[in-house]
Amino acid sequence: MSAVDYGREALDFIEGLEAYSRVPDAMGALEAAFGRFGFETIIVTGLPNPEQQFAQMVLAKRWPAEWFRLYTKNSYDRVDPVVRMCRQSVNPFEWSEAPYDAQEEPGAAEVMNRATDFRMSRGFIVPIHGLTGYEAAVSLGGVYLDLNARSKPALHLMAMYGFDRIRRLLDPRPAPPALLTPREREVIAWASRGKSAWEIGEILRITQRTAEEHLASAARKLGAVNRTHAVALAIRSKIISP
Amino acid sequence: MIHAISAANRHLYEDVIEQHFCLRHEIFVEERKWETLRKPDGREIDSYDNEDTVYLLALEDRRVVGGHRLYPTTKPSMMSEVFPHLASVRGCPADPLVWEWSRYFVVRDRRDGVLNLQLMAAVQEFCLDQGIAQVSAIMETWWLPRFHEAGFVVTPLGLPALVEGAWTMAATIDIRKETVDALHDRVGTTTVVRQNGPRLDAVARANTCGLAAAQRKTA
Repeated sequence: MSAVDYGREALDFIEGLEAYSRVPDAMGALEAAFGRFGFETIIVTGLPNPEQQFAQMVLAKRWPAEWFRLYTKNSYDRVDPVVRMCRQSVNPFEWSEAPYDAQEEPGAAEVMNRATDFRMSRGFIVPIHGLTGYEAAVSLGGVYLDLNARSKPALHLMAMYGFDRIRRLLDPRPAPPALLTPREREVIAWASRGKSAWEIGEILRITQRTAEEHLASAARKLGAVNRTHAVALAIRSKIISP
Repeated sequence: MIHAISAANRHLYEDVIEQHFCLRHEIFVEERKWETLRKPDGREIDSYDNEDTVYLLALEDRRVVGGHRLYPTTKPSMMSEVFPHLASVRGCPADPLVWEWSRYFVVRDRRDGVLNLQLMAAVQEFCLDQGIAQVSAIMETWWLPRFHEAGFVVTPLGLPALVEGAWTMAATIDIRKETVDALHDRVGTTTVVRQNGPRLDAVARANTCGLAAAQRKTA
């Protein structure tokens, strides 16, 4: 297909999405459209905070049941290099572009290898970054893919509109009420588990000073007088779970 | 408050406009590295900054903390002159009721979300009040979900392409009362835009620009 054909097809697909009023129908449309590029699996999901379960973040999926069972049972989202890169990237990328050290990170190697057993040997992921720190993604997998410089921009746009349609069908408001950045929510979540700024720095691979700055700005935004108060307010406004 | 500044009331805001040109240089050139916009005097001004531009600037006292601008598509626009390839499927709009929306920025210490919602509310509120039906935009694609989250109805005009290393797309955004109302609800006010001084009629102005362009063509 030429670039113009990819463009027309993608824009027609996007226009057609509004017609679906149920999630299964919209997912069916996504499955058919991405299927034409060779994709066999789709997941539309939020990315979990340290205190959230991956399974609760999933908005919709077409995944082999056994793979989903394995992925959640082993908490693969904590070690998946694709998830890690997704948080840091605003650009879509192929799964194979997510770096990891096979020696140092056996978990990362395991999740990538096991995925191939479920016809997910290659993939493409489109990160979603919301206004108030909401992080999500549409991730597509398969074996024989039409994945190239011309098809990727089409997939990019189709995935973002697919995400939005599913999101609106499920719930018009995905964003948490407070306006904390993902990092601020992360440091508050760890602080609520009694971690010191130094420990949080070690966990998140940032300096103690940076961790303290995130804590201070989170406290300021929440209108808290100190760290303990910030944690209490964050729990009360359901930014983190107790 | 977000102030609407145009040729009609610019005399009340000369200091603010100057400050905003410098901020744009700081943000778009120094921070985001759009080197083609670099200017020796540190003021980022391009061909779409003129007597037909409308600036929507967020002021705290007299300090500019964020903003964006609108430009009639009845004149040659950034989309039609610089990025027409991004609108290759649906084409570039040229219509008095469609204004090009660009140079969206927020100063570093105000990027925590509230101001973003106010700025998004501002473009919708201002355009609704002026009878503008849509804004067109060249935008970084990663912003699309953020606009979606703000309730914007965004129609792509073509596929994204890399521009200075960032995936960028052309789109139109509908001006809708529901979108304005939902945003006002979220920011907790009934109005965010302030228009001091003589009132502008944006659509009439765009029509005049269109007429001038048509006359140039026939001449």
